[in-house]
Parts: sequence; C-alpha cells; structure tokens
Amino acid sequence: MTKDNVQGAGEEEQQAQSKKALKKQQKEAEKAAKKAEKQAKLAAEQQEADEDDFAKDRYGICPMVQSQQKLDRALVRVQDLTPEKAEQQIWVRARIHTSRAKGKQCFLVLRHQQFTVQALLAVGDRASKQMVKFAANLTKESIIDVEAVVKKVEQKIESCSQQDVELHVERIFVISQSEARLPLQLEDAVRPEGEGDEEGRATVNQDTRLDNRVIDLRTTTSQAIFRLQSGVCQLFRDTLINKGFVEIQTPKIISAASEGGANVFTVSYFKTSAYLAQSPQLYKQMCICADFDKVFCVGPVFRAEDSNTHRHLTEFVGLDIEMAFNYHYHEVIDSITDTMVQIFKGLRDRFQTEIQMVNKQYPSEPFKFLEPTLRLEYKEAVAMLKAAGVEMGDEEDLSTPNEKLLGRLVKDKYDTDFYVLDKYPLAVRPFYTMPDPNNPKYSNSYDMFMRGEEILSGAQRVHDAQLLTERAMHHGIDLEKIKAYIDSFRYGAPPHAGGGIGLERVTMLYLGLHNVRQTSMFPRDPKRLTP
Amino acid sequence: MPMYKVKPVSPADIKIDLPTCMYKLPNIHAQGMNCGEHALQNGEVDPALKALEERQDEVLRRLYELKATVDGLAKTVTTPDADLDASTLSRGPAESVFRATADLDSLLGKDLGALRDIVINANPAHPPLSLLVLHALLCQRYQVLSSVHVHSSVSAVPPPLLSCLGPRHIDSYARQRFQLGFTLIWKDVSKLQMKFNTQSMYPIEGEANVARFLFRLLSAEPQDPVLATQMDCWIDTLRSLNSALGRSPWLLGQEFSLADIVCACCVLRAGQTTSAPANVQRWLQSCQNLGHFDCVYPLLQ
Repeated sequence: MTKDNVQGAGEEEQQAQSKKALKKQQKEAEKAAKKAEKQAKLAAEQQEADEDDFAKDRYGICPMVQSQQKLDRALVRVQDLTPEKAEQQIWVRARIHTSRAKGKQCFLVLRHQQFTVQALLAVGDRASKQMVKFAANLTKESIIDVEAVVKKVEQKIESCSQQDVELHVERIFVISQSEARLPLQLEDAVRPEGEGDEEGRATVNQDTRLDNRVIDLRTTTSQAIFRLQSGVCQLFRDTLINKGFVEIQTPKIISAASEGGANVFTVSYFKTSAYLAQSPQLYKQMCICADFDKVFCVGPVFRAEDSNTHRHLTEFVGLDIEMAFNYHYHEVIDSITDTMVQIFKGLRDRFQTEIQMVNKQYPSEPFKFLEPTLRLEYKEAVAMLKAAGVEMGDEEDLSTPNEKLLGRLVKDKYDTDFYVLDKYPLAVRPFYTMPDPNNPKYSNSYDMFMRGEEILSGAQRVHDAQLLTERAMHHGIDLEKIKAYIDSFRYGAPPHAGGGIGLERVTMLYLGLHNVRQTSMFPRDPKRLTP
Repeated sequence: MPMYKVKPVSPADIKIDLPTCMYKLPNIHAQGMNCGEHALQNGEVDPALKALEERQDEVLRRLYELKATVDGLAKTVTTPDADLDASTLSRGPAESVFRATADLDSLLGKDLGALRDIVINANPAHPPLSLLVLHALLCQRYQVLSSVHVHSSVSAVPPPLLSCLGPRHIDSYARQRFQLGFTLIWKDVSKLQMKFNTQSMYPIEGEANVARFLFRLLSAEPQDPVLATQMDCWIDTLRSLNSALGRSPWLLGQEFSLADIVCACCVLRAGQTTSAPANVQRWLQSCQNLGHFDCVYPLLQ
C-alpha cells in the first residue's frame, strides 16, 4: 500500500494538485452526509426503544445457572413435539439453529440433537417490537428456554424434523449464549459433498471439522453415527453375554510388545520404560488358560503405525473375543460370525432412523449379509482372483487392491458384504498361529471382510509350549521377551481361538463411509493429537 | 463446308475392364465392335455364363439331396415299422437315466483347485421344488457340499426351508473335499436366479432354465435332438398331461426324465393332486415311489 501511495504521489504530485484537492473535498462531503444519516437513524431507534416495552419481563438473558433455585418445570424435548400436544403450553430447552427476522415477525428454528422445530415470534399483544428484535439478534447455537403454545400446521414444514407442528413463542430466555462468530456453520457441515460443489455452497473439510470437533459433533449426521456406534458396542456385549461369555479388562501398560517390535508406543515407567498394548492378545489367552473358557474385552488399542490412510488410527477401540473350543476351531468361527450377524441384524432392525440420517449426507448401499455367514477358503479366493485376471502365487498374501477386488467378486456372486476367508497360508501369519494339520503350508487362520476391507484377523492359537517355542524361533523372536507368555501354556492349556475387530472400522464400513475419522469421536493419527 | 475441328477429349480406343460378376447381354445394336458379342452372335456360349449354369446345377442338386434326407428322417420318426428302429435311437434301453458319467470339467470349466460353487437365489414365498429334487439326484451322483443361507433382505424364513437341502454334511468344514457346491440363498428376488462363474457366465433366470442346467450336470441329457426338443416342450408347457400319460408311464416314454421332475413339482405345488385324473395320479404315485421327491413333501404344507 505504501509503495502505491508513494508512487502515486510521486507521479501525480506535479500534475493535478487541484484535482486531488477537489476529490478530497468531495470525500469529506460524503462522509459528513453519511454521519448525519447515521445520527438521525440512531435518534429514531432511540425513540423506538424508549417506547413502552410491555413485554419486558417475557424475554432476556438469564443469569448463569449456578443452581440458584430448583424450578419445578417440565421441559419437553423437541422430538416429542407432535400434533398430539396441539394447543398445549409447554417449555422447551433447545439450541438456536437459525433465526430470521421478517418485519414484525421472527422465525426461529430450534434444535435438540437430531430434531428441529420451527418457532414463531410475532409482534402482538404478547410480544413487543423490542422482544422480536431481541429474538432476531440472538446468536446461533445459543441455548435458550422457550415457553410456547404448540400449534398444528396445515402445510408440512419440510425443512424441520418435526414437520406437523410449530411453536408460537410466549417467553424466551437465554441460558447460555454463544459467540457470534462460529468456526464452522452447521448447515455447511451436513451438506453432501456433491451438492456443495454443484451449487457453489460451502462444505466443511475434514481438518476443520476435526479441529472444532465439539461443534461438528452437534450435526445430525454425527449424532446419528455415534448413536449407531454405541448400538454396535451394546449389541456386541449383549450377544456375547447371552452366549455365556465373560467380559474382562486387560492391562494396557505392558512389558513386552505383543504383535511385533516395530509399532509400539513407549512410555516412561518410573526408572524403566514400558509399552502401550497393541492388542489384548496375550492376556486374552492367559485368561483362557485360567479357565474362563469364553472371554471378550472392549478397550483401547495403541498402534504406532505411521500410516496416514483412510482406515488407520493410532488409537482405536478394540472389541476382542477369545474362546476355548472342543474339537475344531470352526466352532469359534461360527460363534464370531453369529455375533457379527446379530449385530448387523440389530442395527438393521433398530437403527434405521440413524442409518437414513447418515445416508442423507453420505449416500451408500445398504449393508447386505447372509445367515449363516459365507465361508470361503483361501484357495477358492485365489481361484476367483485368477479367473478375474489377477496374477498371484498360491501362498502370497492378499494385497489391499486384491482384497477389494475379491470383495467385489464375492458381492457379485453371493450378494453379501460380509464373509470369512479361511485357511490362510502359514507364512503370512504371526508366530502363534496354529499350522494346518493336513498341509503345513497353510494355517488354521481366518480373516473377515466387510465391503471388501478386512475387519478381523484371527486364528486357532498354538496352545502347546513346545510348538510355540519352535514357531517363535522360526520367526526370529527373542524368547526372553515372551517368556511369561510361553509359560502360561506349560500347565495345561485348552485348544482355543479368537479374533478382534475395530469398533470404528466396523461402524465406518457398515454405514459405507470412507474415512475412519468420521466414526472416531476424537481421532488419533500420526498427525493429530488434539482435541 | 469445313467445320471447326475439336480435338478428341478421350482416345478412341480405351480399354475397358468389364466386371466379371455382371451378366453379359447380346448387343442390341447389330453394329457392335466387341469380339465377345461377335462370338455370341455365332451361337457359342460365353464361358462366364457356362460357369454360372454349372453353379446353379450344383445348388439344385444339393437341395434335392437335403430334401431326400429330411424325407427319410420324417419317415423313420413317424412310421414305427420303418427300417430304423426308433427305440434304438435312445442312449440304451437297459441303462437307467442317471448312470452315465459326466465330465464336470467340460461342463463347468477347468478345475482351478477350488470348490466349484453353484449359487441359487430363490424367494422363500416360491420355493423351487424341482431344484430340490435335482439337488437330491446330484448328491447321489457327486460329492456335493450343500448349504442354505438367508439373505439380509428377508427377515424370517420358516424352519422347513432352512433344512430343505438335508442335514449338514459331516465334512462340511473341509470345502476342498467336495466336487461341487450347491448354495441356496433365500432372498427377496422376483425371479429365481442362478450364478456360477460370474466372470464368464450371465446369471441364469427362471426355475425351468436352472433345472435344465442342473440336469445337464447329471449327464442325462438325451443325445437324440428329437427327444431333447420334446423334453423342452414338456418342461415349458403342461398341455394334455393326462392323455400323454395314458400312452406311456413317463412323459417322454419309458424313462424317467427332467420333464417328469418339473411337471410333477408344478402339479404338486398347484395342490390339485386329489382332483387330478387317474393317469396323472398314477404318474404322481410312481414319482413318489422313486424316492427322489421325499425332500419336497415337507415343504408343501
């Protein structure tokens, strides 16, 4: 700016001294005129305000609720505002979703979680002009208490969740005011991606959402996602408890890395250091050796993997199962798949509202599955992939694109989004996997897939200390570090198998979302540590 | 008087290559300079025309031969006391329909070391009874891994439908030990559908068509095209059931076949077994006596 000024001054200095002066005069005249206008306006407004405000005690900002008094007032939830309550005078506590003034009327949309209702405040014998003005100036997201009469409407209000009623406001008080400038707008946050690009309206990108997670979580979509996730957890617990499982809690600060050395977080532990558990694997198995037969645990899992992908987090919630079986590890597979099917059925039958709400912003195909679950063998999968033109060895692990392709082929043939792949090659599994009795190149291990992505990796575990030592040595693992683990199998251990799923990933794949951060409330990844 | 001379635009003697595919006509103007026409006028035959005549003769000859063959065939089929005995045209009178071995590889594609799985999607409101009978026959023929699944589009299925393929095989945990997979999925579909190799095959729709495919696996497809056509007729229509059954014990003659399976299932499903005419009842009883229909009766309730 300064440069321009100097240049301008230098160039025009000699030329139009008088022109400049003229311009300056003009500007000053304009300014004076504007000032006069403003003053006149203010005077007029002041006059208005001085007019008798007969509704003074029916609106205002409440003092901060410090539990000063115990009001015996029933607050009705927005979701309960239905035509049955017509003509009733009720109190509602909700947030201001939008407020719009139109002359002598003010339209408010009040929101509570996923539900919205329209409220009307009009100048009349109950409301003064000042009251309407006050309502129109309230900031979005403020929490207010409203006393209103419920009125039926002839024409459905399409934009709200409560479409058959609206509120005619009698009293309006602010419980907690919000700052005027919001870091993100909630309407933008629920707008589907495509729509945003088409109409030139804003959508909110993921980083902004995650930085202001508290506001982002208020959107209807987020509310629906996390209620569904809560359902997943609850169905998991209920199904397993009904099958006779015991819930256990395993330690997360451990002395040795369970899966492999590379991906552990180290914490300082007094004079030494310890690790954060990568999985409850070792302790689940020890519980089986301690005669608990069937156990499950729900808890955090820490993986220090520097993967910035759509499906990896450094901390996530693991739902883990371990079960002793009688003669064949398929008993465990059947148990796990039945649990998953019960979860899917429960979500399908009881959470349709939430699923529809998420689909509004993120449309996707409904989740399909078979009961009993489809189980294919690794060899069949390789044959299917080869028939589709993929070149791969019989004992090669499935790469992620191959997994996705296989998922599509299975979907094509069997029309299911969930299936089990059994009998993986031994070479690609951890050291504690039991080898196949008939073919040493294969193992009694399995993976489960949802929409072509892996959600569970499990196997029959080696329960013989001798074989376990051999396998560990074969994999080049330091026996000293896993001494306690091997010791637990020396005093009689039942044959057992199990597996674990990630809560966030299962929710993401069930809903057909594309990033696991959408289903993690406060996600952790290599680049994000807060909020 | 001398006229203005114009230089000739084109040389007088252009060589024109006449196409050989056209017919040659004698020159209408008698003063034609062409030697070919000259020859014609002498009564000699143009070589091209000759070749054409020969070709025509050849075609006519072949037509006559074909006609003779068709007449012969018609005679052998219609008159029982012709030179060719009609009954010897079938695959062998003493053999039962299903004892011939099939080459699974040629029918289903090369074995890539994995279970070949046939997937059938059926609506539980219209169970495909004939396919269940065929499944029972397949199980006698090959080692079949059968499984029944319920798709998520259907909320509940009556228990008889879940066990319609019989009890779970004792070795069902080892899929590789089986030659063939038979997966029945109860699903909300409008038309019955079969999928096998989704890469190279379109799904087969309709119970009759799937039945034909499965029957082929039993290698009981009649070699004689005439009988095959007759069988196809019977599968698709149900006319004159009684009169046909009056003439012979089974729909196609002396042997039990796919037509009998499909028709019996249709009749049973229609539920008119008690009011059916005598021949039909007798025929249904014979079907039942064979034992293949046992899996069907529990589902008719």
